[in-house]
Amino acid sequence: MTMISTAPRAARSADAGPAANPGRNAIEFEGVEVTYPAPQGGTRTVLSGIDLQIPAGEFTAIVGRSGCGKTTLLNMAAGLVDPAAGTVSVMGKAPRDARSQLGFMLARDALLPWRSALRNVEYGLELRGVSRAKRRTLGRQWLQAVHLEDAGHLWPWQLSQGMRQRVALARTWALDPDVLLMDEPFAALDVNTRMSVQREFLELWQREEHRTVIFVTHDLGEAVALADRIVLMGEGKILDDVQVDIPRPRELSTVSADPQYQAIYERLRERLH
Amino acid sequence: MQVLDRPSVSAAAAAGGAEPTRRTWKVPREMLVVRGAQILLGLAWLGLWQLTADRKWLDPVLAKTPGQSWDYLVTAARSGELWTNTRYTMVAVLIAWILAGAIGVVVGVALGLLPRVERVLTPFLDAANAMPRIALAPLFIVALGINTSAKVALASTLVFFIVMSGARAGVRSTDAEWLRLSTVLGARKSQMFLKVLIPVATPAIFAALRLGLIYSLLGVVGSELISARNGLGQLVATYSATFRMEAVYAILLFLAVIAVVLNQVMSHAERWFLRWQPPVDR
Repeated sequence: MTMISTAPRAARSADAGPAANPGRNAIEFEGVEVTYPAPQGGTRTVLSGIDLQIPAGEFTAIVGRSGCGKTTLLNMAAGLVDPAAGTVSVMGKAPRDARSQLGFMLARDALLPWRSALRNVEYGLELRGVSRAKRRTLGRQWLQAVHLEDAGHLWPWQLSQGMRQRVALARTWALDPDVLLMDEPFAALDVNTRMSVQREFLELWQREEHRTVIFVTHDLGEAVALADRIVLMGEGKILDDVQVDIPRPRELSTVSADPQYQAIYERLRERLH
Repeated sequence: MQVLDRPSVSAAAAAGGAEPTRRTWKVPREMLVVRGAQILLGLAWLGLWQLTADRKWLDPVLAKTPGQSWDYLVTAARSGELWTNTRYTMVAVLIAWILAGAIGVVVGVALGLLPRVERVLTPFLDAANAMPRIALAPLFIVALGINTSAKVALASTLVFFIVMSGARAGVRSTDAEWLRLSTVLGARKSQMFLKVLIPVATPAIFAALRLGLIYSLLGVVGSELISARNGLGQLVATYSATFRMEAVYAILLFLAVIAVVLNQVMSHAERWFLRWQPPVDR
């Protein structure tokens, strides 16, 4: 566990380019700038001068107010947005070519309403051409992992918000992704449900060899509790980059009592305001 | 938390119909009330009809009783006149519905996905759809002859536009998040089409097909009224010309019954195909 929290620092220390440490960084942003066409003509700069290396196995939270460009950053890693300048690589490849190694979660569960819970878990596998029998097995297995083994036959509308987001978790994990891209995945849930789904997620992530995570959120507490590292963004730039060395495995209900939690939380809160 | 969430599984399952005691009581009772009211309304209407004939509220030529219409229906059923003509009409209805429905779905989905093509075609489609279809009947009859083709052609012009608009609107109702997720999970264009866009469009397509079936019937009967060798519309035209109004009433009511049956069949099919929808949306 400790090895994982020290590795990021080594990777970030020098001005090491992607060639200098191949395979160490799961995701790299090099001098990235993103512009959108403005309504009155011309362009609006959303992100500028972004240099960010995310080592394999690191859980990075990206925090900031809405409109700070954090979702754009995530969309770039997913190959949904192209930078106007600079380069983005995921697992050493162009983001679009790395999609087979990605998992993706959104604030809304994006379950397909015409598929049962089990078939929703199977959706990503189906897109990737996994055989029916194997899909079924994996689907059942991951539904069980999120404690929904009895809900496989239910339609999405028959599930509560929390159950739906857990189905989305299972769908993401069933793909066995190397990199998890998460865009405010728990933001749409009420407080109690959010706690339960966060715990479910943290358990899944901590119990195996760690997958690389980029976790976009506006909730500082959630970021500090879950992540190894927090990147604070504002006005299209990186404002702060903090390491969170709270030991793992963490327990969500007690993590906020950790002195480090308080210190980092305060530091980020001040920078944000 | 897992413990806390468990009851919600069973609660949700119950909403899906796994709680027998209360539901089995509630639904039939509701059904009984509705069916009872429907029967009463039907009887009241028949009574009113009888009254208009008895009291001579209408011109004697028009004033026929339900009994007279029933007698015609029985004779026509015995002689086979009713069934052969129903068959001719229904064959045309189904051919027009299937043919124009299929083309309507394909064109509607295509237009929904190709906004530029749609922008070019919209004024032409609107103009074509605004045309009084019954005015086209003589044209089709001259072009195709007094036969099933002419009926099918007229009905098709109605069905096509209804189904096309439904499919076009349906395919547009896609959620951007589904597309975003599917793209990142690596969906190819063909997969996006088959696994997201088509299922998204099914409720709208179904609603349009249901409406289209009724309009197919209207189109075929309309064409038969203008000129035909057979069919229920042609019977109505013949009996109207000879002032046999009891036969006309009987056939019109028989057509209404066919429409109701077609609608019921479609709504059953719809309920099965769209069983994934929450009951309020169905």
